[in-house]
Amino acid sequence: MPSLNWKHHALVQALMTRGPLKEKDFHAIFSGLTGKSPGAHQGLFNEYLLNINKELSSCQFELRACRDQYVGQVCYGVVNNVADEQSKLGTKYTVQQIAFFKGILEAIAQDVIAQGSISNIEALNIRLENQVLSTQGSQLLNGPLPAAFRNFTMSQKEKTLDEFVQDQWLCCTPDGKIGLGVRSCLDLRGWFRNLDVPFCEVCNEAVVKGEILCPRCGLKWQNQLPKAEILDEEEEANDAIQSQPAQRPKRKRTKTNETHEKDAVGCGSSQSSVPNSDFRRITRSSSRPASQRCSIDRWNWNMG
Amino acid sequence: MAGATQDFSQFDISKEEIDKLVAEVVRYVLFKTHQNSGCPIKREELVQLVTKNYSQRALPAHVINAAKEKLSNAFGYELRELLRCRPSSATQGRSTQQTGVAEAKSYVLISQLPAEVYKKYVEDENSAHLSGFTFVVISIVHLAGGKIPEDILWRHLKRMGLCETDASHPVFGNAKQALETLVQQRYLQKDKVNGPEGNTLFYELAERALDGPVSEKMKEYISEAFKLM
Repeated sequence: MPSLNWKHHALVQALMTRGPLKEKDFHAIFSGLTGKSPGAHQGLFNEYLLNINKELSSCQFELRACRDQYVGQVCYGVVNNVADEQSKLGTKYTVQQIAFFKGILEAIAQDVIAQGSISNIEALNIRLENQVLSTQGSQLLNGPLPAAFRNFTMSQKEKTLDEFVQDQWLCCTPDGKIGLGVRSCLDLRGWFRNLDVPFCEVCNEAVVKGEILCPRCGLKWQNQLPKAEILDEEEEANDAIQSQPAQRPKRKRTKTNETHEKDAVGCGSSQSSVPNSDFRRITRSSSRPASQRCSIDRWNWNMG
Repeated sequence: MAGATQDFSQFDISKEEIDKLVAEVVRYVLFKTHQNSGCPIKREELVQLVTKNYSQRALPAHVINAAKEKLSNAFGYELRELLRCRPSSATQGRSTQQTGVAEAKSYVLISQLPAEVYKKYVEDENSAHLSGFTFVVISIVHLAGGKIPEDILWRHLKRMGLCETDASHPVFGNAKQALETLVQQRYLQKDKVNGPEGNTLFYELAERALDGPVSEKMKEYISEAFKLM
């Protein structure tokens, strides 16, 4: 294990004490500590982060960067990689608040046109009874919902929303809606995978706010979503992608997570009016003119 | 990962299991410290993380020591051991041996960074008011000889703009709760003393405020404050 010195420790403690930091602030700390700017000494900066992560990984932590998908800003943070009994101590939120948060995340992540945000009213109308929670080993099963969930009032939801924004789990987007905060982007990557949120083929971030591109020509899809088409049978047999109408197609990404390209395969949500469309998503912050990224064997298309 | 200076060969446990135990203790300390806003963690809680699955007697001590090393090497934190002190009225005329009660150990995380580095790069300015409040309160109690009646303490705080009855102070919120937090964090402890006029509640310095580095720094700052007057 590499040995870390007080400069490494200062970087780690700054993130742990102050929370996620914007790139310019984190770089300023690095420059102050080392006398060298990350821009001009990228190798040294990367080495610092690599050595820090070699130590942190033994305790299932990681120093990670992510890009805010609303304004394109990069942030750094120390994140927890494992949901175990110890990490459950790390929250000050109640079970109801966590259920509320999950509902908001799902509403944002499953937005079929990947706006990346929901309105305040939509957030306040999230129903906790739609969430099935696993809390301390016990499950909320089908049946009467505990009173605490039914009685989670609008006023409590409003107050909780403010707390989430203040703690950077959610954010207020430039257009006044509720979006994912930097902590969610840093911490919840694994959860996005479980929710079948597509990952950008360029930056490998979960596509919460993205663009839908035609997989053949790479042009932005302007109007309505395409209908899925059935490709040749060999693709279906190989990929286990369901092309039945009204069924949610299974992404290749769920089969193998090895390549970034496969992570980029996007799919409409099960609530979509075109349930079995497959389309590519890239995050807005990493959108580039489409080149030769189309690969016919990755997608299922239905053309009406 | 299992501490470089710790010898685990005496235990019939694989290195992977040791590493897992050490990581559990490290994670518990970090998350619990965050959850309870820096209140000391009882040694017994850390011991139970080990003994719930392993029965070797000396193993908890070794794992806790290895976790101390890990916290220092990876994060730059000292897992500082505090010995819980009892209120002075409970120990008057008795030594620890006479009471027959082992004093409970607890732990807090202290940054090992040089003070100026911590102040410049790490300190969260959003919680500076809490540090200031802590310093002022324990200074008042220290200047009162280490122990002060509750009403006198509030009298001093009121002169600085914080009333006992403030429930929505713009900075501290509920003033009584803010003081109670210092008790939970073991900077202070409460002691009820019987007197001719009934029970009087006293606040006195607890182990965290009496801990060497904290106590020395506090005395240094107080003497600087007096020089400025």
